[in-house]
Amino acid sequence: MKADLRSTPGRVSWKNEAALVAAAFAVLALLPFVITDSYSRHILIMAFIYAVVASNWDLSLGYGGVFNFGHLALFGIGVYAYGLMTKLAGIDPWLALALSGAVSTIAAIVVTIPILRLKGIYIILVTFGFAQLVMQLILSQSDYTGGTQGMVRIQTLYLASHNMIRDGKFAYFYIALAILFASTVFLRLLVRSKTGASIVALRDNEEYAVSRGISLVRQRVITLAASAFFTGVAGAFYAAYQRNASVDVFGMSLATIILSMVLLGGTSTIYGAIGASFVLTIFAEIMADFGAWRPIITALLIIVVMLVYPSGLAGICTSARASWRRRQEI
Amino acid sequence: MDAALQILFGGLFQGSLFAMMAVGLALIWTTIGVFNFSHGVMMMLGAYVAWQLSDWSLPLFIVLPATMLIMAGVGWLLQASVVRPLIGRPNIVLVVVITTLAAASLIENGVLEVWGPRSKQLPTLIEGNTQILGVGVSMHQIAIILITPVILGALWLFLNRTRLGLALRAVAQNEDASLLVGLNVTALYGLAFAIAAALAALAGIFMGGYRFMSPVMGADPLLKALIVVVFGGLSSISGPIFAAYLIGFFEAICSYYFGLYWTPALLFAVLILMLMIKPEGLFGAKTRGLA
Repeated sequence: MKADLRSTPGRVSWKNEAALVAAAFAVLALLPFVITDSYSRHILIMAFIYAVVASNWDLSLGYGGVFNFGHLALFGIGVYAYGLMTKLAGIDPWLALALSGAVSTIAAIVVTIPILRLKGIYIILVTFGFAQLVMQLILSQSDYTGGTQGMVRIQTLYLASHNMIRDGKFAYFYIALAILFASTVFLRLLVRSKTGASIVALRDNEEYAVSRGISLVRQRVITLAASAFFTGVAGAFYAAYQRNASVDVFGMSLATIILSMVLLGGTSTIYGAIGASFVLTIFAEIMADFGAWRPIITALLIIVVMLVYPSGLAGICTSARASWRRRQEI
Repeated sequence: MDAALQILFGGLFQGSLFAMMAVGLALIWTTIGVFNFSHGVMMMLGAYVAWQLSDWSLPLFIVLPATMLIMAGVGWLLQASVVRPLIGRPNIVLVVVITTLAAASLIENGVLEVWGPRSKQLPTLIEGNTQILGVGVSMHQIAIILITPVILGALWLFLNRTRLGLALRAVAQNEDASLLVGLNVTALYGLAFAIAAALAALAGIFMGGYRFMSPVMGADPLLKALIVVVFGGLSSISGPIFAAYLIGFFEAICSYYFGLYWTPALLFAVLILMLMIKPEGLFGAKTRGLA
């Protein structure tokens, strides 16, 4: 395995990777038996949701190289799609959860159309504009969405006769974990596939990739659409879990936090974004005592890591592993 | 007549504020090729610095230049701390977005700590109200409408007629060649940020005079400035200025006929449409910019 690692850097054989992922998720699945208070479980559930959103963003931002700043809008669309479907249309919560993912996917395809001809900073501006547009639409339709007041008493998920509210968030923990698991497996399968390779090829050398017959239009639509589904599902789950929805999800502060998860974790790894989501969410909890200083410390941390370790936490791990191996050889 | 005057007046007023913000963004983009997401926070900080200075009962003619000078220094510092170390990295556009966003969050929360959450208001530039053809307007707003073209004109003269300004434009056009002829490119980067921050501070003083100040007051002007630079094209200074007034009028017309609620949505719809048709901006030539 070691030789394999060195000959093709960054590529672990799929058997090893599957074993590692299975082990990691098995550990996570055992956590509720150790951590019994519902507040700590709540923190973990939020970490799972952020991990889904951040790792899916890594697909479009890191692998695709598409500066999609409307990613949080896809999350918000999931939140509101679930809320509207369960509240107004009376659709079954579980069906609404899946449908919300589909709605986000469609929204992602719609936003891809104007950015097909654009590059770099212009993509940031249009996708940013798209997010604001969605927020304005939600605000203006206050009869359905509650406008600035938000939506309250959104229907929760259900499990036969199990009481979801009085079990110390036991069931919610596993639903969130299952969404994260499904999303991670999906993302890793995608980026390891031929499609994933062609997405990276387009990012690294567009002219060459296009000349070799890769369709920019098709791959970009696939990238954005694929990154949207589980983001939308995570949004829907968030709505069901919190039981309310507000336009805060479109705000700059949440986008900054999730984006820093993607970049702190190191782009184009998927696992980096997930790891950074855990680290940042738990870090934010530890610093709860600092009150108003918390965002200041977080911002400083982000700047320092970006300046010192541009490749993020994944980069720190890689260089640590390299230096460890060097010491082994001596 | 009344409606037309109100739209004309509102458009000029909003356009002045947008222009003041947007030229700073465009200046930084053309010289360094990065987008400064702390531009809105610079505006907010400028307003708070001015408030602090006038709270020490300094007169306005000292407060204005002093604030701009202090903020120019802050702009320079911002550039030196979160932008300059990243120059040369392959993904600089993206990384600068996150570092400037983080810096914005840092400054915003810092201001909240120092000056507290209570809303403040700056003194107006000129007190009183007046009537123009039957429409009541405040002297403060008239002052803004008149001062802005002077400042922007001065900036234009600086960029086109002085050695330093020409050096700044040279860096914007060709960085490697500028280095070859011996221009101090890093200093010019700092200068671009300093000018942008000073102009943002001035916009902040304008805004603090007719609206309550809060640590988040810069968010909306930043958003509008983003729209303006996309409209005007990022590759020049004059494009965003025209676009600023155009959008000022568009907003004035929209909010008059469709109401304040629909204006942002309409604005963004027009923006996205426009980018699909002419991505290099309304006044932009197909030069730098698109990459």
